[in-house]
Amino acid sequence: MSLLLLLVAIGVFAIAGFVLGRRRALASVQGNTRALHSLPNYYAWHGAIMAALPALTVLVIWLIAQPLVIERQLAGFFPAAEFENDSQRILLMADVRRVAEGLDTAVAAGTLSSDEAIDIRTGGDASIREILGSVGVALGAGVTPQVLEAAQAYRAFASKGGALRNVLILLVSVAGLAYALRITTGDFRARNRVEVVMLGVLMLASTIAILTTIGIVLSMLSETIRFSSMYPFWDFVFGLTWQPNFQGNSQLGLLPLLWGTIYISFVAMIVAVPTGLFTAIYLAEYASPRVRSVVKPLIEIIAGIPTVVFGLFALVTVGPFIRDWIAQPTGLGTSGSSVMTAGLVIGVLNIPFISSLADDIINAVPQSLRDGSYGLGATKSETVRQVILPAALPGVVGAILLAASRAIGETMIVVMGAGAAARLDLNPFQAMTTITVKIVSQLTGDTEFNSPETLVAFALGMSLFVITLCLNIFALWIVRKYREQYE
Amino acid sequence: MYDAPISETRVTQNEMKITARGVQVFYGEKQALINVDVDILDHTVTAFIGPSGCGKSTFLRCLNRMNDTVASARVEGEILLDGENIYDKRVDPVQLRAKVGMVFQKPNPFPKSIYDNVAYGPKIHGLTRNKAELDQIVEESLRKAALWNEVKDRLHEAGTGLSGGQQQRLCIARAVATAPEVLLMDEPCSALDPIATAQVEELIDELRASFSVVIVTHSMQQAARVSQKTAFFHLGSLVEYGDTNHIFTNPTDPRTESYITGRIG
Repeated sequence: MSLLLLLVAIGVFAIAGFVLGRRRALASVQGNTRALHSLPNYYAWHGAIMAALPALTVLVIWLIAQPLVIERQLAGFFPAAEFENDSQRILLMADVRRVAEGLDTAVAAGTLSSDEAIDIRTGGDASIREILGSVGVALGAGVTPQVLEAAQAYRAFASKGGALRNVLILLVSVAGLAYALRITTGDFRARNRVEVVMLGVLMLASTIAILTTIGIVLSMLSETIRFSSMYPFWDFVFGLTWQPNFQGNSQLGLLPLLWGTIYISFVAMIVAVPTGLFTAIYLAEYASPRVRSVVKPLIEIIAGIPTVVFGLFALVTVGPFIRDWIAQPTGLGTSGSSVMTAGLVIGVLNIPFISSLADDIINAVPQSLRDGSYGLGATKSETVRQVILPAALPGVVGAILLAASRAIGETMIVVMGAGAAARLDLNPFQAMTTITVKIVSQLTGDTEFNSPETLVAFALGMSLFVITLCLNIFALWIVRKYREQYE
Repeated sequence: MYDAPISETRVTQNEMKITARGVQVFYGEKQALINVDVDILDHTVTAFIGPSGCGKSTFLRCLNRMNDTVASARVEGEILLDGENIYDKRVDPVQLRAKVGMVFQKPNPFPKSIYDNVAYGPKIHGLTRNKAELDQIVEESLRKAALWNEVKDRLHEAGTGLSGGQQQRLCIARAVATAPEVLLMDEPCSALDPIATAQVEELIDELRASFSVVIVTHSMQQAARVSQKTAFFHLGSLVEYGDTNHIFTNPTDPRTESYITGRIG
């Protein structure tokens, strides 16, 4: 029985639990729903949950545990020295799994009978390759007798394990169902049980995001540590030149990239924050409902344009314009790619983020505060500046922060607008580049993760993470310090 | 022979502060006020009473043009403040509202410190030349609102941290600090407990010395306690307007009598 069939069976049990749980609860009170502790549907859901949840939990644990157990069982087929080495063991296990799955596929396709599949060990390995090749499973290297033996053992274990698993899961499911039905009476507090499960689901959802973050940080950290064992870490942090060289002797200094990131983001925020904020204030406080209903969606269209398209705009329109009309006449630069180009375009990209969020936040400020201010003879702009913006500050800072994170993480527009040359320069009409661009360029192509030139990407990623973390802490501090809380 | 309280006699000598003639208010298609004529006297407390939705708050909001902030509202007729039509095109509603202050139903202190709440009006109208003068205005206003003793040691704490009654007195202090000529109060005690209500009522009586006060209230006892003039609104019309004593003891209109005795409401 395959995994899919097993899931279907659990589903059927769950539906049975749903129907039977409800019916049994109603029967126990002779159809008088007011005598039940919970609404009939809660008994139904309780039946379904008890039939499905324990079974699914056992299934997940089984699926994780089975490969580990089998791997240990197969250790006997190989020399201990080969099996101790992590990377060799992974390769061997992959081979074994591939041969085993190939044989299964061949049996399923009818090329081999199941007896032949078991006896194939008598044939030479060329014939295995041919047979498996004919059903679409290509084997890389020649199959050693050890691997073949291990694969046969793997198949045996897997089919035995699979059968055991199916029986166990179905038993658990039926047991859960029976238990649920047994305890279902009019007094049983099904609602409270279902609420506990709901709480569990919600907590699980919030944990996933946190665990993912932790996982990302840990994986980057370990690679960064590997990087620092190959390249002096402080040379990376304080290095003034970025000159990777895949033959070795690279100079991997963070500062030019960091400077480019900060400079471009700064220009972007100079464009985006005032424009976005003023747009939000206009929309929330001044615009008539009709203007608002047209302008707001129009601005939000910008948020839907892919950044690659913005990159094209920077490359074809903004870049040449700035070069021909500002940079060259003033003698500041001759390059179409520049900090200014990328910064301007990223800034425009970020306007709707700030304006849309800030608009919602300003609208959430109670009307009574506006009335209070107008009632004292304040004008609209005085009210906005002195009452509404202070009250909306935490949310506005949040919106700005979100835009800043986007600006720092932007890659496409930087490649097309500012170029890929790492440079430490104050001139905004020079081409520069950012951390994200260099992460991409260090990792694209056929690379192995064992040289400082590729591993530096993880160190760069880690520095990005640290930057945004600092930004978050800074914003929290601002909000705490200047917050004016309304009720 | 004539045994009325002193305040009653003073009323008759007071000058006209606001004169409203033929005021009609529409919210979109719906007419909220029909032909209201009222004279509001200086240094007098005028109470507007009537059942919910009768238009008394709407009329109050006409007096400082707060209805301007409601997009669908339209006001007809004329309202004269010291003989000048406040709906004239040359009148700046912002300046008008500095002269005609307002206290709202629900306390709405700004999310700022107590000091900044009171200093808000004087600051935006440039009433002071230096910090010392501003300090003085803040203290005077808080004293007038009977709040000074409770907050003098924590002027720089948030105004939103005060209790409901204190918040409402803070809002009154905030309105007083702008030195208005008329103070409009829209059910200022409806969110307050009896003790805070008594404090605010006492305060209203004291404020009468400085300017004219117009108060909208649902409590007839309150109208009787604090006001010298009372106007009864019903279904958008002004039914009866006169001395408070007279309205509560000897109403002319049967509708007024029904409302006061609790038959309609």
